[in-house]
Amino acid sequence: MITLRPLTEHTFILQLERKEMSFQTGQFVIIRRPHTIDQREYTIYSGEQDDYLEILVREVDDGKVTPQLKRLEPGDQVEVDGPFGFFQFQPYLYPTQNFLFVATGTGISPFHSFIKTYPNLNYKLIHGVRYCREAYEHNHFDQNKIVLCTSVDKNGNFNGRVTEYLTSEELQKDTQCFLCGNSNMIQDAFDILLAKGIPVHNIYTEVYF
Amino acid sequence: MSTHTKYHLITLGCQMNLSDSERVVSVLNDHGYTWTDNEEEAGLIGILACSVRQKAIDKVYSRIHKWNKWKNHKNLITFISGCMLPDDHEKFLKLFDITFQMKDLPKLPEMISQYGVTSPAHLNPGIDPHNKNIEEFWSVKPSYQSDYEAFIPIQNGCDKFCTFCAVPYTRGREVSRPSKDILAEIALLVAQGYKSITLLGQNVNSYGLDKKGSEIQFPELLRQVGEMGLRMNKEFWVYFTSPHPRDMTDEVIEVISQYPVLAKQIHLPMQSGDDKVLIRMNRKHNMEKYRHIVHTIRRLIPEATLFTDIIVGFTGETEEQFENTRKAMEEFKFNMSYTAIYSPRPGATSHRWADDVPLDEKKRRLHVLTEELRKHNLGNNNRLIGKTIKVLVRGTDRKPGYLSALTEGKLIVRFPENDQNLIGQFADVKVTSASDFSLEGELVNIEQVA
Repeated sequence: MITLRPLTEHTFILQLERKEMSFQTGQFVIIRRPHTIDQREYTIYSGEQDDYLEILVREVDDGKVTPQLKRLEPGDQVEVDGPFGFFQFQPYLYPTQNFLFVATGTGISPFHSFIKTYPNLNYKLIHGVRYCREAYEHNHFDQNKIVLCTSVDKNGNFNGRVTEYLTSEELQKDTQCFLCGNSNMIQDAFDILLAKGIPVHNIYTEVYF
Repeated sequence: MSTHTKYHLITLGCQMNLSDSERVVSVLNDHGYTWTDNEEEAGLIGILACSVRQKAIDKVYSRIHKWNKWKNHKNLITFISGCMLPDDHEKFLKLFDITFQMKDLPKLPEMISQYGVTSPAHLNPGIDPHNKNIEEFWSVKPSYQSDYEAFIPIQNGCDKFCTFCAVPYTRGREVSRPSKDILAEIALLVAQGYKSITLLGQNVNSYGLDKKGSEIQFPELLRQVGEMGLRMNKEFWVYFTSPHPRDMTDEVIEVISQYPVLAKQIHLPMQSGDDKVLIRMNRKHNMEKYRHIVHTIRRLIPEATLFTDIIVGFTGETEEQFENTRKAMEEFKFNMSYTAIYSPRPGATSHRWADDVPLDEKKRRLHVLTEELRKHNLGNNNRLIGKTIKVLVRGTDRKPGYLSALTEGKLIVRFPENDQNLIGQFADVKVTSASDFSLEGELVNIEQVA
């Protein structure tokens, strides 16, 4: 472990040595402490070109893994397995370059990796959290391309859930839509996008469980 | 322990475990241990565990507690391998004398011989998710349980992480067996007269992807098997199971259509006919993709039979979502569906979720799908009446005086015959009647294939 960068009381970025691990943006790794059996999957937060590996972790109070990760000190060892997953993002493979990213909570991780890897993307990111303070490192994004939806406080760009925002959003039919976060949001957003005429093959999902 | 010791092996679970057990038997036989059907007279008892369902794991605990009591009055060494979740593995370390991952099978005799000196003998206390050195395991020559059909592992592990399944946590990452070894094993079996060969893997059509260009991929492996069939001038059928729709490319289907030895039977797990359920299952395929695959199969291999796996009553599955699965059954007219009532599997992600579809409702959904399958299967089977079909005779049927066989498409055919020598042979049978899940016919010709 190189550093731990606190974001809120319960969330932090863990920066790890990359050790030449090759990955495609959007993939995840499995993290565990050495000689322990409990492990968790985390989407990679850093970009493909970064010489370190970062993950965004939300501490679960009675969790078996995240409290241990939060106590890590620089130089401590963690085991990293991977990369895995099929949420890879290679923008040049898509027929259009018009991207919509929808995230809840730490589901912003893959999109952070996307824009670090491809800084000139034509995208719009809709990020749903409860409180404005959970806008994890939004300064890394183009402020004209990000919408913060806050469901509890009223300090975001939109007061309400991402799905409510999405309902009123006008979208081109050929928009490539990427959804990452909790299952309920993805299920609802999936229906909204279909209702807007987005074909199912233009919708990509990564559910956080 | 004397190498004249008798051993007993219990294999739980799927075809992968059964295939693995053929290698365990080889290793023990090669070192002088002798098989016994009676576990009470064994001095060495092993179990290949399955973690797919809690019941199978409960069986392991029940057995080991019994065996450990036997140790009060006899010498006994116990070992365990197979699919084990990390939590169970930790407990087994204390209960069994020897635990090992299947990749370490070649070291089993050494572990047995060291038992009592450095006991208990546990290799790598913990599960190595990378399956390092699994090639050594694959190099063990299996003791095939049949002399006409065989299962060949070509890949181990899974990287797909479906939420209902614990395999990525029990068998580790996808690792592909060297293609030259697979092809050599097939060639040997065919030369010995084997008629049915099944390529096995948790995600068989991901074959080669883990090698990142240093190994051929699944379509090319099939092509080379097909070419071998042409060269050897032998009649045999090669199957594979189980594939994942995500990696089921048009090329795979094209290759199957081009070579006679590649059996025209495709097992394509659908799991659900609803896109949102598939998302929750983390299946990484949607119905559009699935439909494309089925249409390609129907176009290129119209004679192919199509089998599937379906789970009913998955967490959160609504009536509307289930109805989409029923409609998919109606649309695709599967020849067989292995439909399971959802039950949370320990270690799988969905185990943490509410199992919120009542059991009675799950049973109703299972019944609806079974009836759907029955309805169109009868239509499928009726169309075969009067046709003469090649079958592989597999054994005595439950119906007295009949033998049981499978078509290339794995449809069950029974016909009146008592000659046990036909078992393991190809024969031509004229279909005389059909029922929902089987055909009946009369023997037309026995193929004396070299």
